Amino acid sequence: MHRLRVFNSGAFRLALLFVVIFAVGAIALVAAVNVAVTRYASQTTATALVDESTLLRGEAQARGRDALGQLILRRERIVHAHQFLYLLLDPQGHPVAGDLPATSAKVGWGEASVAEPAEPNEPSDGQNTVRTYGVRLADGSRLIVGRNTSDLDELSDWLGLVTIWSGLGITVLAVGGGLLIASVFLRRLDRVNRSLQEIMDGRLEERVPAIGMGDEFDRLTGNLNLMLERNQALMDGLRQVSTDIAHDLRTPLSRLRQHLDSMRDLTRPEDLQGAIDDALAQVDDVLSTFHALLRIGQIEGGAGRARFEPVDLSAVMDRVLLAYETAAEDAGKILSAQIAPDIVVNGDPQLLTQLFANLLENALRHAGDRAHITMSLAQVDGAVSAVVADDGPGVPAYERQRVLRRFYRLDASRSTPGSGLGLALIAAIAELHDAELSLSDNSPGLAVGVRFVGPLADHGRGHVQRAAFF
Amino acid sequence: MKILLLEDDAQTSAFIEKGLRSAGHVVDSCATGRDAIFHAADGAYDVLIIDRMVPGVDGLAALKALRITGVTTPTIFLTAMDGVEDRVEGLEAGADDYLVKPFAMTELIARIDALARRPHLAQALTKIRVGELEIDLLKRSATRAGKAIDLQAQEFKLLEYLMRHAGQIVTRTMLLENVWSFHFDPQTNIIEGHVSRLRAKIDRGFGVEMIKTVRGAGYMIDAPA
Repeated sequence: MHRLRVFNSGAFRLALLFVVIFAVGAIALVAAVNVAVTRYASQTTATALVDESTLLRGEAQARGRDALGQLILRRERIVHAHQFLYLLLDPQGHPVAGDLPATSAKVGWGEASVAEPAEPNEPSDGQNTVRTYGVRLADGSRLIVGRNTSDLDELSDWLGLVTIWSGLGITVLAVGGGLLIASVFLRRLDRVNRSLQEIMDGRLEERVPAIGMGDEFDRLTGNLNLMLERNQALMDGLRQVSTDIAHDLRTPLSRLRQHLDSMRDLTRPEDLQGAIDDALAQVDDVLSTFHALLRIGQIEGGAGRARFEPVDLSAVMDRVLLAYETAAEDAGKILSAQIAPDIVVNGDPQLLTQLFANLLENALRHAGDRAHITMSLAQVDGAVSAVVADDGPGVPAYERQRVLRRFYRLDASRSTPGSGLGLALIAAIAELHDAELSLSDNSPGLAVGVRFVGPLADHGRGHVQRAAFF
Repeated sequence: MKILLLEDDAQTSAFIEKGLRSAGHVVDSCATGRDAIFHAADGAYDVLIIDRMVPGVDGLAALKALRITGVTTPTIFLTAMDGVEDRVEGLEAGADDYLVKPFAMTELIARIDALARRPHLAQALTKIRVGELEIDLLKRSATRAGKAIDLQAQEFKLLEYLMRHAGQIVTRTMLLENVWSFHFDPQTNIIEGHVSRLRAKIDRGFGVEMIKTVRGAGYMIDAPA
């Protein structure tokens, strides 16, 4: 089973592919060497034959044909069998000296076949090919010089054998190596797959082990783990939200039910009218909760990013401040602001307006009587930093992350109106704008900071805020 | 006013029709975009109310088609969604106003009244007068019975919007959208404080209240009878 999988694995196939590529390369190399060596040897032979025949012809001219015949006999005896073979024919075509067969008596280039010279430990049964070169001497006799080319053929054969054997060796090595790599890979990937299977089976806290075969693979598993973590967080969030929705909507709906139930006993039209208004207000509350949830969902889905534009954040905060001024005054809070002018960020003007409106509303609702609430906007170290702070009861450090969750409410604020979605919406809008949301101690009170770290938009102010006033 | 309603949900359609009729309007209704195009093509209606999500040719496509053929009837878009995208899409398709479901009947009626009067606003006004109250849009100043009233910028904007819709109900949402550019529903009632301050400046010492609160609907500015 495992073997079969190894053969089918990508690593093995990759190894095989390498073998094929390598083999093609090796064959091409050997062929090139073969051609080069053969050509070189054949040229050497030709040169040697021409030189030898020239030398001998000179001998004949100097001392006559008989002397040449003697010389040939001597040379045949001295020179190694593989060097030169000769044939001297008189003008009538009768052989005078030399071992070459009469059939090779041809002026110019030719080929002849001779019996393989006997060598120790080697039976002489084959024929050797001899390359010949013939010249006509001054008196009409012919001189043929030949050279055994069997060395060349042997070299050629040997190169061929080397090619085949080394090819086989390489193949065996490559297949073996491929199998080894593949099985190492598979073992490690099996561990990853087992972890993934466990995660699919519901053990969501399981993580993928490092493959450990280099950075690129570890980056892969690292990213897989990050993805799993994010997925788990999202799933936890989803589960928490659906439970919370059920919880938080049951309460107002049961209250509404009681209310409607008690309305059966009302008979006076003005009582009924008031009760209906009450019921409508309660339904509106539930609807606005749904509405906020949908909006958070929409924003978290990334909708709206396509319509980002340069937004004059200073103007947005000024507008929010002006809008809430009277409400703050009427509620007995002291509202102040230090808003630096002309700060522009990339974003959605509507959502940014809502973000600061919600922050201010939170402060107004939770900060208590005579609280001081401050809004500030400044550019610090290249980032835009907006803060809404109050001197109310604040949020304990261990609750600061949790209050960003949907429906999460501090015990102290259970009795105040609100859906528990305000900060979740703020967090979603901040996230959409790549802004860092931070809750910190204002000692006393809470300071909520929104830091826009993305690239600043400093386009002309001409079209800034276009969408805010259609 | 003669109104065409495109709404596929029979119950919602009946509810809106009933509400509009009791406000004195004449209502025709249809359930598909195709019918809406057919009925509205001759421009015989004063206002179109188009639900975005209807089967087949949807509200957005129907409105686009009508606008292309040159029908300029003022149109209110109804939708169950209120993402910024949806609003911008609706307005780009040629809608004049946008209302998110569920809405109060008073809200729809107030918006129809505001829309139907819109053509008059197109002319370049420099002064608006309601009874003895007058504002100068260029100087950004206000007088009542010749006496100057000192207004802050936001108060002036609020008064201007009320006076442009004199005699009509202006809802809280209309004020939020048009005076403060808030296209969401704040949990805090921020309008009340502003209106009461404006009222104090305009009505104090004059005996007769010009800014009236319409219970369960909104506000209205009117010349005292």
